[in-house]
Amino acid sequence: MKHQAKDIINEGAWKFTTTVPVVGLDIGSRGSKAILLHGDDVFTVLLPTGLYMQETADELLNKLLQTSGLERSDIAAVVGTGYGRISLKYDDIPYRVVTEISCHAMGAHAVIPKTRTIIDIGGQDSKAIKVDRATGKVVEFVMNDKCAAGTGRFLEKAAAILGIDLRDLGEIALKSEKPAQVSSQCAVFAESEVISLRARGARENLQEISADIAAGVHTSTARRVHNLLGRVGIEPDIVFTGGVSNNVGMWKVLEEEIGAKFTPAKLDLIFAGALGAAIHAWKFFASTHEVKRTKKHVAKHETREEARLPNGE
Amino acid sequence: MANEARDTTWQAAKLNLREFAKLVDDEQQSLIDAKGTKKVGYICNYTPVELLNAAGVRHSRLVKTGSPKTVSAGELYTQSVFCDFTKSCIGFFQEDDPFYKSFDKVYNFHSCSTMKRASEVIEQFVPVKLLNLPKLRSSQDARNFFREEIINFKDDLGELTGTRVQDEEVRRQITIYNRARALLKQISELRKGPYPVISGAEFLDLVRGYYYLPGEKLVQALEQVQRHLEGIPVPPGRPLRLMISGSIMADGDRRLLNILENELGARVVIEDHCAGVRPFYHRVAEAGDPYRALANGYLDQAPCARMKPLEDGVTFSGKLAREYSVDGVVYVYLKFCACYGVSKKEFISEFQKQDLPILEISSDYSESDYGQLKTRIEAFVEVLNERGGTISHEQYVNA
Repeated sequence: MKHQAKDIINEGAWKFTTTVPVVGLDIGSRGSKAILLHGDDVFTVLLPTGLYMQETADELLNKLLQTSGLERSDIAAVVGTGYGRISLKYDDIPYRVVTEISCHAMGAHAVIPKTRTIIDIGGQDSKAIKVDRATGKVVEFVMNDKCAAGTGRFLEKAAAILGIDLRDLGEIALKSEKPAQVSSQCAVFAESEVISLRARGARENLQEISADIAAGVHTSTARRVHNLLGRVGIEPDIVFTGGVSNNVGMWKVLEEEIGAKFTPAKLDLIFAGALGAAIHAWKFFASTHEVKRTKKHVAKHETREEARLPNGE
Repeated sequence: MANEARDTTWQAAKLNLREFAKLVDDEQQSLIDAKGTKKVGYICNYTPVELLNAAGVRHSRLVKTGSPKTVSAGELYTQSVFCDFTKSCIGFFQEDDPFYKSFDKVYNFHSCSTMKRASEVIEQFVPVKLLNLPKLRSSQDARNFFREEIINFKDDLGELTGTRVQDEEVRRQITIYNRARALLKQISELRKGPYPVISGAEFLDLVRGYYYLPGEKLVQALEQVQRHLEGIPVPPGRPLRLMISGSIMADGDRRLLNILENELGARVVIEDHCAGVRPFYHRVAEAGDPYRALANGYLDQAPCARMKPLEDGVTFSGKLAREYSVDGVVYVYLKFCACYGVSKKEFISEFQKQDLPILEISSDYSESDYGQLKTRIEAFVEVLNERGGTISHEQYVNA
């Protein structure tokens, strides 16, 4: 899809007009997102992540080239982020890796310049990030433990057990009047809790039970995420990013849980990481071109090289 | 030419470090193979190694990291909420590990409650003696009591070998171990300059020597390492300097170091944990009653978080961070650790006072969370590099 930078920014001027096309790839555990920045044009592509990350990345890049009408050789820099960032390799385009934490911070900052706190819930992890308002850099972050509770994966599991399409889970949860108690801290145990809750329900009120369970699952996820947030602090503007930010039920339950409102964005913030990556790619391009120009930077570069030398074994 | 000379001394020093690591590995095999001498394992850093040497036993600290398989073998005896280090210790016995199996006796100075329970489980595989370790490190009563306990330890060793431990030999060993501790501290301090000539992983290899080698052999080998390292002209530049603070990074638990140093090019320059520099910051008095000297010396070492007052440990940690001018701290503790998992707030606020960024990691010995661990550490390094104003060039590929 093609956007204009001025249309995706909440307020103020867009700071990231590029002179060359740059690409950000965010290869997540479930979905892969890509953004191409060219001048003030912003192109987006979203695909499910395949088994082979490089193939998914190539497909994303090809789609971006198709929609933008550019050639592969036009791309000045690519930054990869997300779960699959390490498995990507490019021989013909300068490529760099930046973690999704820095990318989400930069991406959210770009579209909502007042961003201070980010909640990112993705397919297999969730993060709370505190952002520097002036620069979009990360000040502090907390990531969930290696555990699926409090992530999109948990919601996905619950949807599967309830026989509901994941995309409808949030809507259905909103219909509940008395959310079920899903108390378990562990996604695996929570799964059996959900199964037994469901088994207790009578056939005729299955829909109602499903809504109650869906709501309970959302509340339990929100509680975990709230815990993470507690560690970095909750200061406005609070921005919700990642795939789960498209879930209306989660959005509402989380707002209630933390007692504050999220700032809505004009860009689907499943793309926050990819946008941040593209901006990092632009910065990367700009900095490497400075390195060649200014003497000071060259000197610094040499010192680093030398510092590395004896360790070359 | 200067570069070539530097490379030669550098390579000689690195070769020497590898020889040291091999010496430590060989020592373990030789302990397994040894016949006719008693072999003793100990668990806690508060065990006076001087007495083990004075008793003439082969000895080693039980400080190995278990594989996920070993950990689950240990879990046969524990709840799931025991740390993986505890489970490893039990697991190695359960799995008939040749090294652990070779011990005639295991001593445990009652360190944390979890390890105490573990030593009771281990009793079904090997005789274990549990000794008291007072918690109130500054109380005179505690010190008197600890002296008595150390004498009990000495007498028990005498019974095990059939020969009374001689006071003169204890004094001699105190001198040897003071030298070993001083050497390790001095080598560690070579990392205080902008470019640390030895990596965190390499330093921990030397610390392994303290737990596996007999005193005299250890001192000899460390003196050689020190000579080599001091001969290296320090290269220019300053990598990202980090401190690791927390519970224990056992022998073999190198995942974090691997990501930090090998993959991201940062350097761990100081480690405040129980397999780091803590034991090397104390000296045992060489004159007077050797048992009183040991009691005082060991209680004066940089304290474990199980000791009181907790502030002593926190202050020590903060002091190290300043002395080694670190850019950030990775605070790591084993999951379910009742000492470090609970006292983390005190440690973290001490670093915050110094305006040091902290990454908190609760870790275990599984291998499945590599990706998440890496994301967290990488993001932390990104934050630190951005604070420093530069993004390290090592991160650029094809640039």
